[in-house]
Amino acid sequence: MDSDIDLQPLMARYQQGDYDAATALVNRLSPQLHRFFLAQFVSRSHADDLLQETWLRIHEVRHTYRRGQPVLPWLYAIARNIRVDHYRKASRAKGREDRLDERSDIPEAPPGRSAQTPDLEALLADLPVSQREVIAMLKVSGMSLEEVARATSSTVGSVKQKAHRAYDKLRKGLAGMGMASVRRGGLS
Amino acid sequence: MRDRDIDDILKQAAQAKQDVDPALLNRISMSIGSSLQPVRALPPAWILASGLALICGTVAFAGAMLLGPHGVQKMSAVEIGLIFSVLSIFVWLAAMLCVAEAIPGSRRPIAPWLLVASGCIGLAGAFGLLFHDYRTGRFVSQGLPCLNAGLIHALPACLAAWLFLRRGLAVNPVAAGLAKGTLAGLAGVTMLELHCPNFETLHLMVWHIAVIPISGAAGALAAYLVAHNTRALSRRQKTRSRSR
Repeated sequence: MDSDIDLQPLMARYQQGDYDAATALVNRLSPQLHRFFLAQFVSRSHADDLLQETWLRIHEVRHTYRRGQPVLPWLYAIARNIRVDHYRKASRAKGREDRLDERSDIPEAPPGRSAQTPDLEALLADLPVSQREVIAMLKVSGMSLEEVARATSSTVGSVKQKAHRAYDKLRKGLAGMGMASVRRGGLS
Repeated sequence: MRDRDIDDILKQAAQAKQDVDPALLNRISMSIGSSLQPVRALPPAWILASGLALICGTVAFAGAMLLGPHGVQKMSAVEIGLIFSVLSIFVWLAAMLCVAEAIPGSRRPIAPWLLVASGCIGLAGAFGLLFHDYRTGRFVSQGLPCLNAGLIHALPACLAAWLFLRRGLAVNPVAAGLAKGTLAGLAGVTMLELHCPNFETLHLMVWHIAVIPISGAAGALAAYLVAHNTRALSRRQKTRSRSR
C-alpha cells in the first residue's frame, strides 16, 4: 500500500511528461488496482483488461489531477468508472443484470495458498457491489474513509454505513465458514 | 467475532495477492510512454467555480438588460439584498458542485439532488418572507412567459458551463448534467428576478422557481443521452475494429 504523499510528486512529474515517474506509478499502483478489480468478481483476464483500460483512461485525463490533492481518490474514481462501464457491458451482453454475482467468474485461489487462508474474493462473495467496493478500497488499498468517500462521490457517513453493514454480513459469513475456529486454530 | 478479527482476516486475505503479470505492466508503461507529453493541469477549483459563477451572472445580466431590468427597479433594498444573496449562495454552491463533478475524486460540497431541493426551498423561503401578495389572477398566462424566458436563458448558460468544463472528466455524467442544469436554472431565475416586475407570491414561487428543477432535469437527461450515445458509438467502433 502506498502513501498518498509519496504519490503526489510522482503524479506531478507524470503530468510534466516524465517517463520514469509514469513507470513508477504503473508499477506501484497496478497491483492494488488489479486486486480491486478482482474483488469485484471479474476473472483474471478481465481484471488485466480493466487495468489496461484504466491506465489508458488515466493517461488521457491526467490533466484533471490537481497538484496537492490526494492521488488515490482521483485514481479510484476513474477505476471505478471503468469497472461500472464493464459491469454495464457485461450485463447487456449476458442479459442477466441481476445475476452478476454468480460465482462462476471468481478466480480460483492460486496454487500454493493454504486451504485455511481466506480468499478475499470468497470472503466478499455475499456482499452487494457497493459494499464490496467500499471494503476493497478500505482494506485492499488501505484508503481512509474520506478518500473512499471522495472516490465514490459519497459522504463519509455513507461509507461508514456501508462498511458497517458489510462487516455484519462478513461476521455472519465467517461464522458460517467456521472462520472463528480457524482463527483460534492459528491463522492470526 | 470482533471487527478487529475481521480486519485481520481481510488484511491477511489482501496480502496474499496475486502479482500482476510483469509483461502486462511493461505493455502499459510502453503504451503510456509512446504518447507521453507534458500536460497543463486544471486550475484550482475556486478559479473554475468563479468562472462558472461569472458565466451565470453574465448570462442573467445580459438577458435582463435585453428584456429590461423592470423587476430590480421595482424592488426595495431589502428585497434586492435578500433575494440576490440567496441566489449568489446557491450559484456558488452549484458552481463548486459542477467543478467537483468534473474532476474525479473531488469532495462534493452537496449532493446534486439536495442542491436542487435546497435551492427551491431557499428561494421559496425568501419569496415567502418578502412578498405577501397572494392574488392568482392570470396565473398561468403570466407564468408561462416567465418560465419560458427563464429556461431560454438557462440554455446558453448550460452550454457555456459545459464548454468551460470540457477538459474535465465526469465520472457520473448524469450527476454532472444535473449540476450544470441546476446552475443554468439559477442563471435563468437570476435573470427573471432582474427582469420580472410581477411580485405575486405564488407567481414567484411556482413559475420562477420551476426553472431550477426543469433545467436540472433537462441537464441530467441531456447528459444521460450523450453518455449513452457515446458509449454505443465507442462499442460500435470497437466491434468494427475487431471485425477488421
